[in-house]
Amino acid sequence: MIAVKKRITGFISVLLMVSMIAACSPNQEGGTSTPNSGEKGNTAEKPADTNKPVEITWWNFPTYQALDGEVGKYEKQLIEAFNQKHPEIKVNLEMITYDGGPEKLNVAIATNSAPDVIYDAPGRIIDWAKKDLLAPLDDMVTDEIKNDIAPAFWKQSVVDETIYMYPINTAPFMMAVNKTVFEKIGALDLLPLDKPDRTWTFDEYKKALEAVKEKAPDVIPSGFYAKSQAGDQGTRGYLANLGISRFLNEEGSAVAINTKEAGAALDWLVQAEKDGLVISGSASLAAADVNDLFLQGKLAFSINYSAVLRAQNAPLKQAEFEDVLLPYPTLDGSEPKLEPYLGGMAIFNNDDEAKITASKTFIDFVANDPEWGKKSLIQTGGLSVRNSITGLYDDSEYEYSELARKFVTDPPTIADGYAEVRTFWFPELQRALLGAASGEEALNTFATKANEAITKAKAATAK
Amino acid sequence: MNLTFFRNKQYIWRDWIASYLFLLPALAFFSIFVAYPMLKGIYISFFSYTLRDFDFIGFDNYQHLFQDETFGKSMWNTMLIVLIAVPVVVIFSLYVAMMIYQKSEGIRSLFRGIFYLPAVSSVVSITVVWASIYHTNYGILNYLTSLFGMEPINWLGDTRTALLAIIAVLITTSVGQPIILYVASLGNIPKSYIEAAQMDRANSWQIFKNILWPMLMPTNLYIIVITTINTFQVFAIIQLLTSGGPMYATSTVMYGVYEQAFKLGNFGIAAAMGVILAIVIGAISFIQFKYLGSDVEY
Repeated sequence: MIAVKKRITGFISVLLMVSMIAACSPNQEGGTSTPNSGEKGNTAEKPADTNKPVEITWWNFPTYQALDGEVGKYEKQLIEAFNQKHPEIKVNLEMITYDGGPEKLNVAIATNSAPDVIYDAPGRIIDWAKKDLLAPLDDMVTDEIKNDIAPAFWKQSVVDETIYMYPINTAPFMMAVNKTVFEKIGALDLLPLDKPDRTWTFDEYKKALEAVKEKAPDVIPSGFYAKSQAGDQGTRGYLANLGISRFLNEEGSAVAINTKEAGAALDWLVQAEKDGLVISGSASLAAADVNDLFLQGKLAFSINYSAVLRAQNAPLKQAEFEDVLLPYPTLDGSEPKLEPYLGGMAIFNNDDEAKITASKTFIDFVANDPEWGKKSLIQTGGLSVRNSITGLYDDSEYEYSELARKFVTDPPTIADGYAEVRTFWFPELQRALLGAASGEEALNTFATKANEAITKAKAATAK
Repeated sequence: MNLTFFRNKQYIWRDWIASYLFLLPALAFFSIFVAYPMLKGIYISFFSYTLRDFDFIGFDNYQHLFQDETFGKSMWNTMLIVLIAVPVVVIFSLYVAMMIYQKSEGIRSLFRGIFYLPAVSSVVSITVVWASIYHTNYGILNYLTSLFGMEPINWLGDTRTALLAIIAVLITTSVGQPIILYVASLGNIPKSYIEAAQMDRANSWQIFKNILWPMLMPTNLYIIVITTINTFQVFAIIQLLTSGGPMYATSTVMYGVYEQAFKLGNFGIAAAMGVILAIVIGAISFIQFKYLGSDVEY
């Protein structure tokens, strides 16, 4: 009797073990199915797992404005709409933040657990592409699409002429001003709002700051920050325009901002902080701190704004005021150079063709679906990268944003070693802001370190 | 044949198996979550481990670190934080514990609660509160100093004050547990020793020096070692308040590990930094054990 019991127990144990092994087997994942293979009703003729949807993982920064105050709600709706057309693809959404997301992505890549799809900017995407981590997207781009997108955007989406980022939304980075403050102090004429392109000189800008200081003592005229990397494009654009220079040279092969004029602009910033024209303690403030003060109505100018940020910040405003976009002033009134924000999607090459194909189908839906493509674009608060898609919004600031696209310059994000280059920027700004170095000395030190990083990264890429 | 011998051996064998079976869960946990990552970390430190490469490079990461000014600065800052924060935490907690241990149980509980609150609260929440206290334009600290006619100080943005500001926050979050431990240890010292000393007309200092202090040595050792290790690993406060700035004035080795690994994806260099930090902590802990170790039991 005991022997029979033992045999039954042994049989059940073996059965359980086999079923567990079978359940854990990768074959159950449906890895060989393709996005279009999920026809219904013929399961008897196909192996059981081919009808299983291909699962892809989409990590998303808060690219879309939160719907009903819920981050990720819009993304869920988007996936639902996608699944109505493509039930054969299951999209797992994971929302990440701009604060910890980049670090999380680095860890995921290093541990072979990267997501399949990401919506991000060229700064990171092109860096991943240079490290052979992404799948090429050339087969997704028809000639019609290619010709409808400006070469400047393609330049940020390719590595060696292979497309790795599918560009979707854009907006030039610029400044914003609290127009209500100027209305209240009767100094609206000091802002360049009567000009269609709103360009202005450093002297005009300085007069505007002085007017705020004099007539609105409870408002700080302007802000600057140098605590952490986020928002560094604001400080770059501001200084480069005040110094009529560029951050990097046109080839993106060396630093170009270490000019006398840019050094003088940095020295002016230090003095302006002492004079109360710029917020005090800027060396220890982050971009978010400064924008928070702007949204609270305590700051007249914010140096890190765009149509996208304006839309995303609207629900965060803690004071009633009208915010208006402005280009950075230039020393001599020449045309400003604005770095573009560019958002797009990329696919990590996780060695699974089915997932890559499914990811391409998903990206195509997000970018080009007749209904959801446009809807999603508006939800980002940005402009389309496509020349043919305009007039999405009925808003003067979007109109201006469209116009300001003519001031767009090359972004430094495409430079080799950009991730390391940006780590040297704020410590040098801090050195100048704290009086440990002159503006020019700080920029020269930055240039030396950054150029070394670019050279090193170039050599590594060429390996 | 000596059957007793075999029977004893059987019992010993059975006990041996039983004891190791009891140890097994802890051993497995330790092996998977402590020993393996530690050994893997040492292994990685000999590789150029980035998002793209995994190449053996021997001691190059260590060589790079010893030539890197920023790492030197981070190491110096870390040592400075430990040298200032650990003695302050120990002395302050002992002082507070001495103040309250003779009070009634109600008062003791109240003080324990007050001082333990930061220890059980999230470091992030406390740090955010401190960020607003230190705010140059709107912080309460500058408001208080302005009452004495002082100009606003950029506490976190000035190289002269940033590290001290970090240390102050670290101390407030670190004193809770030592106070509890000291109060408990003081409560365990037999009252008769103190009464005997009082009868011999010993004053408070003599009682502290000759009775309380020697009997607190095991607690001292534990608190000093644990506080030192925790202080070496301070990270969240720095990340939230200064991001290592201004001009690397508050950058520490632990913050450097985070920057290299998670921001730049240089896992090999980060691992080498971690190994160096572990060696330094190990050496200092060894010295502490050697010179503060005590056989006192009560």
